[in-house]
Amino acid sequence: MNIALSDYLLVSAALFAIGLAGVVMRRNTLVIYMSLEMMLNASNLALAAFSKFNAALNGQILVFFIITVAAAEVAVGLAIIVALFRVRQTVSADEINLMKY
Amino acid sequence: MNYTSLFGYLLGEVVLTAAAFVILIADVMCHRKDDVGARNQRMAWWTLTGLFLAAVVYAIQFAQGNANFADGTLVINPLNLFFKEVILVITAITVFFSMEEPVSKHVGEYYAMILFAAIGMAFLVTSENLLMIFVSIELLSLSLYALVGFQKQILRSAEGAMKYFAFGAVSAAFLLFGLSYIYGATNSLSLPAIAETFKGDPLMARSPVLLIGILFTLVGFGFKIAVVPFHLWAPDAYEGAAAPVAGFVASGSKVASFVALTKFLLLGVAPAAGAATISFPFTPHFTPGWAPVIALMAFISMVWGNLAAITQTNLKRLLAYSSVAHAGYILVALFGAKAWGQTAIYFYIIVYALTNLGAFGVVTALANKVGGDDIRCFAGVWRRAPGLTVLMMIFMLSLAGIPPLAGFFGKFYLFAAGLAADQMQLGYLWLVITAILMSAVSFYYYLQVLRVFYVNPASRGGPISICPCQRWPMTVIALIIFLIGWYPTALLDWIQGFLQRV
Amino acid sequence: MNLLFYIFSGLMLLCAALVVANRHPVTSAMLLILVFFFMAGLFVLLEAFFLAVIQVLVYAGAVMVLFLFVMMLLDIRSSQIRRQNAPAMLAGLSVGFAFWVEFWLILRHSALPVGAPMNFDAGIRPIGKLLFSEFVLPFEITSLLLLAALVGVVLLSQKETR
Repeated sequence: MNIALSDYLLVSAALFAIGLAGVVMRRNTLVIYMSLEMMLNASNLALAAFSKFNAALNGQILVFFIITVAAAEVAVGLAIIVALFRVRQTVSADEINLMKY
Repeated sequence: MNYTSLFGYLLGEVVLTAAAFVILIADVMCHRKDDVGARNQRMAWWTLTGLFLAAVVYAIQFAQGNANFADGTLVINPLNLFFKEVILVITAITVFFSMEEPVSKHVGEYYAMILFAAIGMAFLVTSENLLMIFVSIELLSLSLYALVGFQKQILRSAEGAMKYFAFGAVSAAFLLFGLSYIYGATNSLSLPAIAETFKGDPLMARSPVLLIGILFTLVGFGFKIAVVPFHLWAPDAYEGAAAPVAGFVASGSKVASFVALTKFLLLGVAPAAGAATISFPFTPHFTPGWAPVIALMAFISMVWGNLAAITQTNLKRLLAYSSVAHAGYILVALFGAKAWGQTAIYFYIIVYALTNLGAFGVVTALANKVGGDDIRCFAGVWRRAPGLTVLMMIFMLSLAGIPPLAGFFGKFYLFAAGLAADQMQLGYLWLVITAILMSAVSFYYYLQVLRVFYVNPASRGGPISICPCQRWPMTVIALIIFLIGWYPTALLDWIQGFLQRV
Repeated sequence: MNLLFYIFSGLMLLCAALVVANRHPVTSAMLLILVFFFMAGLFVLLEAFFLAVIQVLVYAGAVMVLFLFVMMLLDIRSSQIRRQNAPAMLAGLSVGFAFWVEFWLILRHSALPVGAPMNFDAGIRPIGKLLFSEFVLPFEITSLLLLAALVGVVLLSQKETR
C-alpha cells in the first residue's frame, strides 16, 4: 500500500497538536518559540503533501515563503526576549504579569 | 504583464520604501549629532513627504484602469486604491502625533518601521491572494511588534511587545495551517479562483478539509482583528505601546485586516458560509460553515468587550476593550447581502479607525502632562485643555454611536445589513439585538470617561499647551466625523461607486 | 519508501514530543534540530528536494543557531529551570489530544486523492521560474520583510548607552 495524502496530513496534524500543546503548557518562552516553529513546520508538511498530490508547485512556493518568514519572525521574537531579559531577568512566561487581564 | 508595468503599478509602495530608506540612511549619516527633538521633527517631515508623494501616485492611478497581476497578487481597482489612501492618511496622522515628543532616541528607525507597517497594510488591502495576504500580514505584524516594544527600557512596553508577539505568532501558525488546507481543498491560492471551484463542485462547500481550513484561517484573522477569545494581547499591547503607536495598531492594522478578512470571506469562500440563524419562535438552525464561527465570535466579542471595558481604570485598556466590542459589531454585517454588507463594513471601519485614532491622539497629547494614562489622571482636564476635551467628547460620543455623529450612521448601516441577512428572514435578529443592547451598555463607560474629563475636581496645574502638530490633525478628524454624520450618504455613495467599479 | 515514511514521521513525532516534554531548553533545541532533519527527510519523500535543502539550511543552520545563541547570551541557569504547573500541563495535553482526534476523524471521512501521486517536475528550475514570474511580488515583499525584521531586531536587542 502506498502512503496516501491523509497519512501525511495526519502526521502534520500530530506535529501541529504537539506544538500547540507545547505552547499551552510550557512556561519557558524559548521552548514556546520552539513549539511555534513546530506548528509552522506542520503546515509546511501539509502544504508539501498537498502540492505533490495536487501536482501543482504553488504549495512548495508557499512553503519557501513560510520558511523565510518564520526565520525572520523568530529573530524578532528572540530580540524581544533579549529586550525583556534586560529589564527583568527572566525568560519565564509566568513572571510576565505586570498587566492583568 | 511585464516587470516595467508592474513597477508602474507598484510606484506608490516603491515611493514609501524609498522614503523608509532615505530616513534610515539620513538619520545615521547626517543627523547623528543633532538634538533628538530636532531629529525627530526632521524625520517626521521626511516621512510625511514620502506619504504625500505616495498619495499623489495613488490619486493618479485612480484615473487609470483596473489591473490584476498574477493570480490576484496585486489588484488595482478604485476600492483598493481608496483604502490605500485611507491607510496613508492614518499613517500621516500617526506621524503628526509622534512629532512633538520622540518615542525613543532611535527616531530614524521609528519612522522607518511605521513606513514598513504602512507598506504591509497597503499590500494587504490590495491583494486577493492567500500567499500575498500572508506575507503582507507578516510584514505588518513584524513592524508592529517592534514598534510596540520600542520603549524597551520600560518594562510595560517590553511586556506588551512580548504578549503581542506570542499571540501574533500563534495566530500566524493557525492562519498558515488554515491556508494550507484551503489550498489543498481548492488547489489554488487566489480568492477568485477559490470562488470558481465552488461552481464546478457543489459538494465543495461541505468539504471538511475546506471547512477546517476556513476555521483555522478565521482563528488567525481573529487575533489580528482582536475578537474574543483571541483578544488577550490587545489591552496589554495598547497599554505597553507609546500612545501614537497604540493608535496606529488600533486603527491602521484594523482597517487593513478587516478589508482582507471581508475579501477572504465574501470574495473567496462565500458559498461555504453555512448558517447560524435563530428564527421565531426560537428555532435555531445551524449549518456548518464560517457563519456559525463568525456569529459566535461576534456575540462574545460584543458582550465580553463591553462588559470588560466597564471595569477598566486605564484609558488605553478601555479603548482596547471597546475596540474588541466594535470588532464584534462589524462582524455582524458580514452576514448581510454581499454588496450591502461590504458597504456597511467599509463605511464603519473607516469611521471607526478615524475616531479611535482621534481618541488615542487625545491620550498622546495629554498623558505626559497629566501624569499617566489612567482614567483618574484626566480628572477635570476640561479646565486645563478645553479645546481638547471638546474633541474627546466628539470622539467618545461617536464611538458610543450618538446621532448625528458618524459613528451612529456606521452602526445603523451595520445593523441594517445584519437585519437584511438571511433573505430578510430575520435569522440574525438575535445578533442585531445583542449588538443594540450592548451598544447601550457601552454608553455607560464612554460617558464615564467624559464625566471624569468634565465633572471631576480639577487636578492642579495651569493650562496645557497642545502642539499644533497634534491639535490640527485631531480637529480635522473631528470635522470629518461631523461631516460624515451630517452627510452619511456622501461616503456611502463613494464606497458603493467604488464597489461597482471593482 | 513506505518504511522510510514510517521511520521519518515516527522519529519526528517522538523528537517533537520530547522537545515539549524536556526540562532543559538546550536539550529541547538539540531535539528540535532532529525534528527539522526528519522533516527534511519527509520533504525528500514528497519529491520536494529544494524544500528539503532549504529546511536544513534555514532551520537547522540559521534558526537553531539563533536559539542557541540567545540561550548562551541570557545564561538560562541564572533563571532557574522551574517546575511545570499541573493545570497548564493538563490543558496543553488535552488541547493537543482533542485537536489530533478531530483531525483524525475528519481525515478518515473526507475524500482525498488516495491513488499514487502523479509525477511532476519539482526541481529547482520550475520553482525558480515561478518565483520570478508569478510570485515575484511576494518575493520582493519578503525582502522588505527581512529588512524590517533586521531593523527591529537590532533595535530591540541592542543595549541602550546612556
